[in-house]
This record gives sequence, structure tokens and C-alpha cells, in this order.
Amino acid sequence: MQRYPAFDPPEYVDWSPDPEVMRQFRATIEADSGRRDCVERLSVERLVALYAGMVRFRLHDIFLKRWVRQGVISKAWLGTGEEATTVGPVHALDRGGEEGDIVGPMIRNAGACHEMGMSVADMFRGYLATADSPTRGRDLHIGGREYGVITPVSLVGSLAPVIAGLGLAFRLQGSKRLALTWVGDGATKTGEVHEAFNLAAVQRLPVIFIIQNNQVALGTLLDDHHAGADFSEWARVYGAACAAFDGNNVLDAHAATRWAVEKCRSGEGPVLLSAETFRMGGHATHDEAEARELFPPETFAFWGRRDPIGCYETWLLEGALDLSTGEPVAPGSAVESNRAVLAEAEAAVTAEIESAAEEALASRTDMPAAESAVEGVYGEWPDTSNPGPAPFY
Amino acid sequence: MAVITYRDALNQALREEMRRDPDIFLMGEEVGAYQGAYKVSRGLLEEFGEWRVRDMPIAELGFTGLGVGAAMVGLRPIVEYMTWSFALLAIDGIVNSAAKMRYMSGSQFKMPITFRGPSGAANQLAATHSQALDSWYAHVPGLKVVAPATARDAKGLLKSAIRDDDPVVFLEGELLYGSKDDVPEDEDFTLPLGVSEIKRPGRDVTVVVHSRPLHSALAAADTLEREDGISVEVIDPRTLRPMDIDTVLDSVRKTNRCVIVEEGWPVCGIGAQIVDDIQREAFDYLDAPIARVTGADAPHPYAANLEQLHFPQADLIVKAIRQVCYRD
Ligand SMILES: Cc1ncc(C[n+]2csc(CCOP(=O)(O)OP(=O)(O)O)c2C)c(N)n1
Ligand SMILES: [Mg+2]
Repeated sequence: MQRYPAFDPPEYVDWSPDPEVMRQFRATIEADSGRRDCVERLSVERLVALYAGMVRFRLHDIFLKRWVRQGVISKAWLGTGEEATTVGPVHALDRGGEEGDIVGPMIRNAGACHEMGMSVADMFRGYLATADSPTRGRDLHIGGREYGVITPVSLVGSLAPVIAGLGLAFRLQGSKRLALTWVGDGATKTGEVHEAFNLAAVQRLPVIFIIQNNQVALGTLLDDHHAGADFSEWARVYGAACAAFDGNNVLDAHAATRWAVEKCRSGEGPVLLSAETFRMGGHATHDEAEARELFPPETFAFWGRRDPIGCYETWLLEGALDLSTGEPVAPGSAVESNRAVLAEAEAAVTAEIESAAEEALASRTDMPAAESAVEGVYGEWPDTSNPGPAPFY
Repeated sequence: MAVITYRDALNQALREEMRRDPDIFLMGEEVGAYQGAYKVSRGLLEEFGEWRVRDMPIAELGFTGLGVGAAMVGLRPIVEYMTWSFALLAIDGIVNSAAKMRYMSGSQFKMPITFRGPSGAANQLAATHSQALDSWYAHVPGLKVVAPATARDAKGLLKSAIRDDDPVVFLEGELLYGSKDDVPEDEDFTLPLGVSEIKRPGRDVTVVVHSRPLHSALAAADTLEREDGISVEVIDPRTLRPMDIDTVLDSVRKTNRCVIVEEGWPVCGIGAQIVDDIQREAFDYLDAPIARVTGADAPHPYAANLEQLHFPQADLIVKAIRQVCYRD
């Protein structure tokens, strides 16, 4: 994809595929026959949609970064470098809106909103707090009920039992729906997450938890908050099914989640998936410098070579499928026509994000009205009640 | 004296107390290498090492319990929460373990622990990160609750909180960290808990206010002096439990009018308790019903314009004061 030197992590600016990294990328898919079969069966549309989804997420972040620099917003939380861990799994779900599966994104999973169907314009409006934003300016953590995205509570860990509760309801309702959320490595230290894992496992709830290990929690390195086993082994303690996937390999993420979805639909949930990835920036836009100090440069370089978008793009370009015809070809013989297909997809997404940003900025003429601050706290407020002691509202 | 920020005043208090007493240690998320989410613990890891400045995983309930345990065998832990909103997860440790230990053990155990961190609104951090839950803690027997509004008070009161043998909930203003004030550099400087301060003397009306809204109240007092010739006495209780209500009562007996201001929600707020004290002890002195100005009775909104409205701004305080003076 086009790189954006002013906003990209430096490792991405002159990105080119590293042969060893690409060898591993392919080997990961080959390693498990179930996942390999799943990947082989993916349609051209799906393959391109996974690419477009990650590009959309990256551009969403880049546009937010630009707004922070311009002073349009004060701060943004980004998923740069971790796109595959969000986009791959979401594409494995039934994205049927109010009747489909439900996701609960955390700060690194904004891409789940647009891949579930929310418009990027609405996501941007959420940041700008306009009256027509999905939360009507009340919160920057946004969800969209009609797209199967729940509005998150921003305390990390608190969403895990809530997601299990959705699973409980789906069981009670006899439906095949399932719920999925991501749990950061840092969030795995909260009590609620462990209560949720156990509650889901002991009741066999159709829930997928993805432990998204990006090696850091705010400014704390993984080793400073985690002394336990590899996350992929945790599920055994709870009696849940488990698997690991490569968090920077969108195909692996997608195939692993498909497997987890099957398990949940057939009553063998919950599933704990674990993924290793890396936060290619700060916790938010305000502490990029601290993040660069926290890790040695080699760590950034290591993960920079594993840019999930660059790797996947290379895999598609050099692959054994002509994306323009859908026909199998000798590996590497359809590079030019594949490049054209991907360029077209990228151009469409870029245009989409540009106009989303414009639309959202235009909405700023409509900020929430003062009186609206106290509306919508309850569904109903009894007539007889005391209006409360605050005399000035 | 030196003019320093509220942040640096807290940092001085921590540093001076930790130098004075090796039993004191600081623990919390990001207090060490990151130097605090709001940089209050800057330089402390370097000076005191990783056993006295301990980074904790995201486990508010768990590390609150660690603090309580350490306090029971002779240490004096200072537990930092990244914000008091996250301490909602730790409330069992604060309200059950810490607040009741001395009582339930028949005073066998003391509980010299300080729980501290930023409270109230920040800039656009929205509903789950912006709460002023002062009255929740003030409700609990066994806790002392302190909420300084200036750098000087922050330093003097934090030192006393750390030296206290009971659990102290220390509520820092999230938007006060950068505010500046004259602060004594003397390391013996402390301010006693449970003593209100008259921040501005006046004759016509008493305003009781703590934490960040103090600055709105002082601005309101200036406006009223200038525009209406109303002389406002502003009192900051600073300690919400135990509260020095006598200073408030003396003032109300003199001015005969009172407005109470707080950032938190109105129902069962700190002001409701103060109204109760005043009506019992000074009812006959009142010339007007007491007015309250509080945060709006709703979760804290994200939009910047709504967030402003949510806070007890100076113009609302002006309006309330005019009302109790029958000038509106
Ligand atoms: C209960 C709670 N404590 C503290 C915070 C502040 N906080 C927000 S994100 C974060 C780090 C989370 O780390 P991790 O779960 O690994 O997610 P990541 O940011 O790496 O995606 C912290 C400490 C919070 N939101 N909730
Ligand atoms: Mg993390």
C-alpha cells in the first residue's frame, strides 16, 4: 500500500518484504492442515476484503493522527501494526447486524467497527463528539447495535464477563449466535477476565476471547506484568478450547477464528485464542516517544518487518492465484495483475476514508445541545419523583 | 517558599516522606519506569529503587489487597490509582479490608495506608474516566478523606495523610496537576487533616467548596465583589471526613447565607451532609435557604461543550449566590 512517511512508524516507510519473514508467513499457514484448507478455499472477494479491511483500519489511524497534529482532536488510540488480529477474526463472523454475531472491541480494535459495517464517517464523528455521532457526543467509545458492535466500557477487563453474558443469552434463546471480544495482555491481569473465562467455560457459552498480546500494557512491558505460561496454555486451566494464531498474519487469524466459530456454533464453546503482535506506536498519540524508549530499536525493527499489511500484500502478489480472474496460476506469475486489483481496492478505500473525514468534519456544525447532557440517563423517570436537588440544571 | 505545580508539590511530599521513613513505599500502575500516568512519581524509582516504587499489573483489586496486607505488618503503603474511576474495582479492598480492619480486630491492627490518585473530570476522557466519587468514600466509617485544591494544600495534606495511622483516601484533581501555588520547601511543613481553611474572607455569604471548583468559587467571588458589591467568604474544608464543620458554622452565623459547591453528582453529595449540619446547628441564623451547585445529574459526557456544562462553573456559582442574597 501507499506509505505515509509523516504518520507511519519509521519501519513502515520504506517497507519491503523480508524473504525470511515471508517464508515464515507461508509456513504458518501450511503448519495446520485445517487452516491451510480454510485459506485455500477463501474466495477472491474475501481475500481482497481482508486486504481492504486492514488498509481501511490503517488509514483510519493515519487520519486520526493527522487530526491530532492539526489540533482537531487532542488524542487518539490506534491499532497500527495490529490490524490483522482484528480484521481476520471479524471476517470469520456472521456479520448479520442485529441478528448476527456480536463483537466487543477494545481500544486496539477500532477496525472491528468498520469491518462489522459501521461507517468510518460515524467512527470519526464519535471522536469529534458531534450530535449525530453514534453516542450523540456522550462517549468516544462507540458501538453500533445495528451492526452487532456493543459500546464498550473503557475499563479494561470489564467487557469480558459482559461478552460471556451475551453468550449466555444466546444459549438461553437457543440461537446460533456468538460473541467475541479481545483481551489485551495487560487486561489479562484483571480479576474480571478470569471470572469471565471460568463463567464461560463452566457453562459452555458460545464466546470467543482473543488474548491480544502486543507485548505491552500502556508503559509496562509484558515481562513486568506477566510471569505465567504462554497465553495459549491458559485455556486448559479453565477447561476451554484453545488455539494460538500469528497476530500479524491475517490469514492465520481468520482461519483460527473460523475454527473457533465452528466450535461455538456446535456447542463446544467457549474458545480462547491467543495472538502475539506488537503495538507499533504509543499507548495513544501522546506517548509515542515513551514507547520508543521502552523497547530497544531491534524490537521495533523485528515487528516492523512483520507489517501485517505489507506481508499479506506480498503473499497475495506472489501467490498462486490471479486475483483478476480467480484462476490458479504458477506462484508469482500474476504479480502485475494482482497489483492492479489491490491498487484498485486501496484506491476505493482511500477515497472512502477521505470522504468519511470530510463528512465527519462537516458534522461539527451540529454539536450536542447543552440540555441534552442530562437526557437519556434513564428510559423512564416516574412522574411523582423528586426532580433532584441540583437547582441550576 | 517556591511557586511550583500541584504535581510537583505531591512529588515533593512523596519524596520527603519516603526519605524520612523507610517503611513508606509507593505502588500502582505505571508509577515506576513511566513515572506515573500523570508524572507525579517522577524520579522516585531512580532515587528509591524498585522495591519502594513498585509497578503493578492492571489488577486494582488485587494490589489494593497487597497494600492492606503490607500495612498490617508495619509498612506504610501509598497506593496510587491511575484514576479514582478505576478504584471502583478496588472498592472491596478499600471499604471492607482497609476501612474496617482496625475496628474488626479490636484495634490489634492499625491501617497506615494512603490511597491516592486523580479524581474528577479530565479533558474529554468521558463517563467511565471522569467521576468525582468523593461522597462515596466520605460515607464510610474507618476512612479519612482528603481533597486538596491547591499545590500548598496538596503537599501539606499528603504528608499528613502518609503519617496518619488510619487509611486515607486522597483525591487529587485531575485537572489541577498543572496549577501553581506558593509551597513551603521546608520538609517539616505539614497541614493537619480535619481543618478547614478560609480561602477568602467575606461578610455577606458563605461558600463551601472543595477541590477544583474552589477556583470557580474564587472567580465567582471576584465577580460578585466587582459587579454586585457582595462580599463572599469562601471556605475549603479540604478534609471531607472528618470535616471541620465548625469553621463553616461560624461563618454561616456571621453571613447568614450559604452556597455549597461540589464537582460530584447532587444526590447524597457532600453538600447534602453540610446542609444537614447547618440546619441542625445554625438554623436560626439563616436568612435564605441554602443553595447547592453540583455536577449535572448524569454520567459525564465526552463532547467538550457538554463537559464544560457538566462542571460547576463560576457563572452558576454567581447565580446561586445572587439567589441566596435575593439579588436575582
Ligand atoms: C481497570 C483499568 N485500569 C486501568 C486502565 C487504564 N488503561 C487503559 S488501557 C491500559 C493498558 C491496557 O493494556 P492491554 O490490556 O495490554 O491493552 P493494549 O493497550 O496493549 O491494547 C491501561 C492501564 C483501564 N482502562 N482500566
Ligand atoms: Mg497490551
